Amino acid sequence: MSGALLIARHEWRRLLVQPFAWILGAVVLALMAWQFLLALEAYLAIAPRLGGVRDAPGVTDLVAVPFLHALANVLAFVLPLVTMRSIAGERRAGTLPLLLASGLGNASLVVGKFLGALGYALALIALIALLPLALSTGTTLDLGKLAATLLGLVLYASALTAIGIACSAWAAQPALAAGAAIALTGLLSVVDAGARMQGIANAGINYLALPTHLVPFTRGIVASVDIVYFLIVTTVALALATRRLDDLRASATA
Amino acid sequence: MNTAAPMLELAQVSRRLAGREVVRELSLRVARGRILGLLGVNGAGKTTTLRMACGVLAPSRGQVRVEGRDLYEQPQLARRHIGYLPETPPLHGELTTREYLSFCARLHGVARSAVAAAVERAIERCALGEVARRLTGALSKGYRQRVGVAQAIVHEPGLIVLDEPASGLDPVQALRLRELIRSLGHDHALIVSTHVLPDVAACCDEVAILHRGTLRHVGPVAAAADDRYEAQFSTAVDATLWQGLPLVVAAAAQHDALHWQVRLAAGTGGAALIAALVARGAPLCGLRRASPSLEATFLAIAASDTAQAA
Repeated sequence: MSGALLIARHEWRRLLVQPFAWILGAVVLALMAWQFLLALEAYLAIAPRLGGVRDAPGVTDLVAVPFLHALANVLAFVLPLVTMRSIAGERRAGTLPLLLASGLGNASLVVGKFLGALGYALALIALIALLPLALSTGTTLDLGKLAATLLGLVLYASALTAIGIACSAWAAQPALAAGAAIALTGLLSVVDAGARMQGIANAGINYLALPTHLVPFTRGIVASVDIVYFLIVTTVALALATRRLDDLRASATA
Repeated sequence: MNTAAPMLELAQVSRRLAGREVVRELSLRVARGRILGLLGVNGAGKTTTLRMACGVLAPSRGQVRVEGRDLYEQPQLARRHIGYLPETPPLHGELTTREYLSFCARLHGVARSAVAAAVERAIERCALGEVARRLTGALSKGYRQRVGVAQAIVHEPGLIVLDEPASGLDPVQALRLRELIRSLGHDHALIVSTHVLPDVAACCDEVAILHRGTLRHVGPVAAAADDRYEAQFSTAVDATLWQGLPLVVAAAAQHDALHWQVRLAAGTGGAALIAALVARGAPLCGLRRASPSLEATFLAIAASDTAQAA
């Protein structure tokens, strides 16, 4: 595990000194801040009319949670850009032999890369979460629901990061890795679209879809089935990445 | 503890890639304090051999042992005991030289408290002081190569594997690298792959010549031409002198009929040749071992396929 943490810290360090990571973070923050202001403006426009409605939704349901849910869609495009170079970039730059010859196991390398990229994702989520949390200075938020939503986002980001790492391990080019990760995430997001259009919401195909397991968190429901789903996706993706490194080690194309 | 075990031993190692056997039943041993030069034309299997030697590539058959222990059963051996410089130095261009070497030291298991000293030692040894704070991505080819060597030695491994370390260096840089390799050879086992024959002659104690994946020659550098002698006669002799001497494989006049270069059969030697020539009444006035001709050995091996094909 110490090897994985070493790789994770190194990945962090490399991300911090790259303009790419800062620019990407700045763009996402700016985009989300703009989204937040739009949501807040819309809420302020309808707030007077909500006063007379019984059990009317509050600012948590109308601003904070939809805003964080929208972040999930942004992460689906951002995280593949963060992970694309983790292994494919090492191969392209000819630096993978440094890691392979270090004696660290392939699983440690993959977990280290994963933790490094996940650290970036968590920092991004934490910074963006400050926007809705700032509302607590002027109103009362449903912190339980917000915490559940954030937990869902973290698990979702974990699954997306692992998918990105797996794609980076399998693709020879970082751009290809990013494209594959975005495509795979898109597929997992709409895999049950046909079933839903027919009104089927509880079939096996629904279980495969990412939104099926993210939405309950945004309603404040923390179910073990959803947590297990994200953990399974993460584990399978990391296992596939490790398997790929095993193949690379055996094929001299590392 | 088995002190007699060589630092590295490749035992009947083979490697198949894309349906082709790139390395075939190769056996090599390198002891601590020795420098082995690995020679071969492009595609001979040098890089594949080196990658197997340092744990990057698993052999299809055979064993790679580091200090007597199987590298693929105990891959963690590579972490402390092997330093590897691939053909392209594996630098992280966004880090400074010192940051990069610190990471490499930690990667190879150097304790956190010992990292700074290990990095300073590697920087000093590879003369990287003036670029220690510069980004590795902005360094010249020569410095990049030296940083690559520094990352291979920063954890003081017993075995250092350098793949084409002099590639792309100017003559002055190449000379410094040779001096560095020589100094490393005092207390490490080194394998150096190169195309540059003078580098092998200048740096290495032993040479192994690979051709088409098979080991065709291995032995001390100075003995690469041990079977060749230069004979000098007081009066001219002709080629018929050598006919009927079973210990002479080949003989060729050099410049004139007074000086001949003779290649002897295996298991014979200069004394036997002198005895045979004296018995024939040849006017022999001098015999010495031919100056080592690594190039001749290498070229003969490289050309052997052509001869066989013909």
